[in-house]
Amino acid sequence: MPEPSRPARAHTRRTVLKSTAVTAAGTAFLPAVARAEPTALSRGTIAPGESAEITLSVNGRDRVVAVEPRVTLLDALRERLGLTGTKKGCDRGECGACTVLVDGERVKSCLTLAVMRQGSDITTVEGLADGDRLHPVQEAFIRHDAFQCGACTSGQVMSAVACIREGHAGTEAEIREWMSGNLCRCACYQNIVAAVADAAREVRR
Amino acid sequence: MNDGLVGRPVMRVDGRAKVTGAARYPADDPVPGALHGFLVTSTVARGEVVGIDKSAALAHPGVVAVYTHADLPRLTVPTFPYIKGFIPLQGTAVHHAGQPVAIVLATTVEQAGEGANLVRIDYRAEPPTASIDDAPQPPHLPKPFRNRPNEIARGDAAAALAAAEVRLEARYSSPPRHHNPIEPHATTAQWDGDSVTVHETAQGVNLTRSVLSTAFGLPPDRIRVLAPFLGGGFGSKGPVWPHTILTVAAARLARRPVRLVLTRAQMFTLTGHRAEFRQHLRIGATRQGKLTALVETTTAQLSRTEESIFNESDSTSTLYDCPNVHIRQEGVPLDLASSSYMRSPETTAHFGLETALDELAWQVGVDPVELRRRNHTAVNQETGSPIRGKRLLDCYRIAAEAFGWSRRAPRPGATKDGDEYVGWGMATEAHTFAAAPATPPVTASVTIGADGRAVVRIATQDIGTGTYTVIGQIAADALGVPLDAVTAVIGDSALPYAGVSAGSATIASITGPVDRAARAARDAVVALAVADPRSPLVGVPAAEVVTAHGHLFHARDRERRDSYRAVVGRHGRPVETTGTLLNAPGHSWGAVFLEVRVHARLGSVRVTRVVTAHDLGRVMNRRTARGQVLGGVTWGIGHALMEHTAYDRSTARVVNPNLSTYLVPVCADTPAVESHFVDHQDPDSTALGARGFGETPITGVPAAIGNAVYHATGRRVRDLPITRDKLL
Ligand code: FES
Ligand code: FES
Repeated sequence: MPEPSRPARAHTRRTVLKSTAVTAAGTAFLPAVARAEPTALSRGTIAPGESAEITLSVNGRDRVVAVEPRVTLLDALRERLGLTGTKKGCDRGECGACTVLVDGERVKSCLTLAVMRQGSDITTVEGLADGDRLHPVQEAFIRHDAFQCGACTSGQVMSAVACIREGHAGTEAEIREWMSGNLCRCACYQNIVAAVADAAREVRR
Repeated sequence: MNDGLVGRPVMRVDGRAKVTGAARYPADDPVPGALHGFLVTSTVARGEVVGIDKSAALAHPGVVAVYTHADLPRLTVPTFPYIKGFIPLQGTAVHHAGQPVAIVLATTVEQAGEGANLVRIDYRAEPPTASIDDAPQPPHLPKPFRNRPNEIARGDAAAALAAAEVRLEARYSSPPRHHNPIEPHATTAQWDGDSVTVHETAQGVNLTRSVLSTAFGLPPDRIRVLAPFLGGGFGSKGPVWPHTILTVAAARLARRPVRLVLTRAQMFTLTGHRAEFRQHLRIGATRQGKLTALVETTTAQLSRTEESIFNESDSTSTLYDCPNVHIRQEGVPLDLASSSYMRSPETTAHFGLETALDELAWQVGVDPVELRRRNHTAVNQETGSPIRGKRLLDCYRIAAEAFGWSRRAPRPGATKDGDEYVGWGMATEAHTFAAAPATPPVTASVTIGADGRAVVRIATQDIGTGTYTVIGQIAADALGVPLDAVTAVIGDSALPYAGVSAGSATIASITGPVDRAARAARDAVVALAVADPRSPLVGVPAAEVVTAHGHLFHARDRERRDSYRAVVGRHGRPVETTGTLLNAPGHSWGAVFLEVRVHARLGSVRVTRVVTAHDLGRVMNRRTARGQVLGGVTWGIGHALMEHTAYDRSTARVVNPNLSTYLVPVCADTPAVESHFVDHQDPDSTALGARGFGETPITGVPAAIGNAVYHATGRRVRDLPITRDKLL
């Protein structure tokens, strides 16, 4: 968050984002909210600073969580639901560490508000494996040593699942391009590409 | 040694935890009742806080407290590894933009952030200086840092330079850069009476403990620092920074646990950086390219409160055979945050040296690899003692052959492929790895339980380099048990002492203690077995017992056998041993050869092919070692082609404190890397033949890229990064 102490109280990016969020929640509801069951949010105005109870479907389970309208999906997952596998690297859509699947598509969870995602199916890295059986992407990441510190890994894995599903894992060059929204400062890129290519073959089988 | 796990490309033992999100990093551990902290940071770079209005922040729902210098108790400013010279919130002085001036505590992270927005600070501001070019005073020679002098002189460099057959003089520069690990710095502090537990993104749990001990005047045993996993550090989490101290102080005042996570923007002023750097190099040589004199003056940005220099000239001083050397590492204090170590601190000065050698090679008409061979040394240039394990010449040979160097076009600008000029370049890589301090000695403990499993305890860290895995390999080999029978417990200052995971010192410093503790445990269990009438091995001389796969055998009669599990089980209590071993500092070396393609009209540079060969002594784990090569090459690409932090020269504020304008390499920027290792036992190693290595593979890459750009285009770029404007 840039310059929290700016004396002139200029709107920072975050305050703009937040007031937009409050307005959106309080007046014109976003489509995802409107589709959902009536909630405190959809029934009336939420004053700034107040929370509403919403239901998020995460990893196949409905989870009730009280959030202010300004709470991002990322912070709802990490701070309210204890799903800390999803990481916060930048909180502004630049690193990809927070990537989750929303209705099967990869989404940077720091750039979407929790209240906008009622009624969606959210999958985090904790929900990818089938019991003890790892997802082929997870297996391939281990096999190819596609991580070091692991800070980007949840996001890389989720992004890779979507990348394969989108049909963007055909060639190495294509993988490099379509996985470039996920930064890896340890720079395991070559191994990530190999893992995604390998998992793509397995998933297609 | 049974399975010979050491040296094998064993898969990471923490892989499953990392790909499932189960690995808990310091900001992940749930701490019930914790408040969220958020720093208010200075918008001016130099001056004073003259007024603070907390009222709007305190009125914001959820905000519990706003602390400023008026609220915090006076703390003691620690020295290294606290490299800042002052603690914020101890007075009104402002030394750099982004300096903390208040800390807000609130129930949720959103409330804390908004509360910080609402704190009103008034300043008396003075005009700051943000660039070496604008410094009002000339550079000076700072006092030695950690006993390392900033002036090194051997022989008579001035006379040798004057008498040299060939002379070369050039100036190189490098902008400020930031580490940017993906995991932001985070501290969670929980007091219990006069003791505190700190979940910390620390490359050295014991470093954090020692800094907090000084700052708060607390005995170290009242402080426990936990960092079981670390989301990358690259040097930025080695030193301890103000937010850690402030969070611990705030938690004490609030009588509540506090968690504080820096924002990405705050990481650009609060966690160190690679300082802006200038290098003036003069070289004397024979017509055959043999070095006779090296005269180097470097200038690094300092801060007003801290004089440490981190862009060391180790390579100029030690890498090549040269009898006459004069190095001065100077600095200029600016109104910026203090700089610090960043992955391979020698990279900045190494770029100038390895570029200059390429320039010299063209000047005297000698192949750059041959020029380096002619200047190779197997003698420590600083001490005169022989270096027994150096295999750098092998690195040149292996990498040059694999790359196809002999087919290099003989003159610059000679190869074009479509719209792109193609060029090849090479450079030597070299890195000094550190020794852990002698006191307290690095110590590991090994405990064998009645289940036959071994637990290794040591207060080291895994910053992504594979420490958990390599500890497992070492202990499993020493004990003669399978890898999955060993559990490593690390990242906790309450464990037996170890040092910081920085300076490529982790494996170099912990291997010996872990190996010794495990061998002692093995010997203890063997002793129990041969003395135990219930053991099939009773009465066998201990020297004739071998261990493998969790079993103990009579060496000549394999039918007589027992197992760890059975022996310790009968013993009725765990067997615990410790081991210590001091390690010495040293060097690892390598060679990097690469190809670049430079677009004729756009000036864009792509690195398209990289071959490396490294001498790190024994390769403990080829997979994790290769990971360091991939990381290093990519960091070198970032260093050479894109990374730079821009300061506004009138306000001394960072203009690009984010990952969309501070560019780091992405997947599409990185080529395939072919990595080779000269795998051998270093006779002087205290680490089973291995040496510290992790930071070696960046050092030569920027110069190799610049040298390849010259080969492609005939254009010599001496000021990094090599951006398009410099090539068009
Ligand atoms: S945390 Fe969401 S993209 Fe970086
Ligand atoms: S594994 Fe460390 S950032 Fe990707």
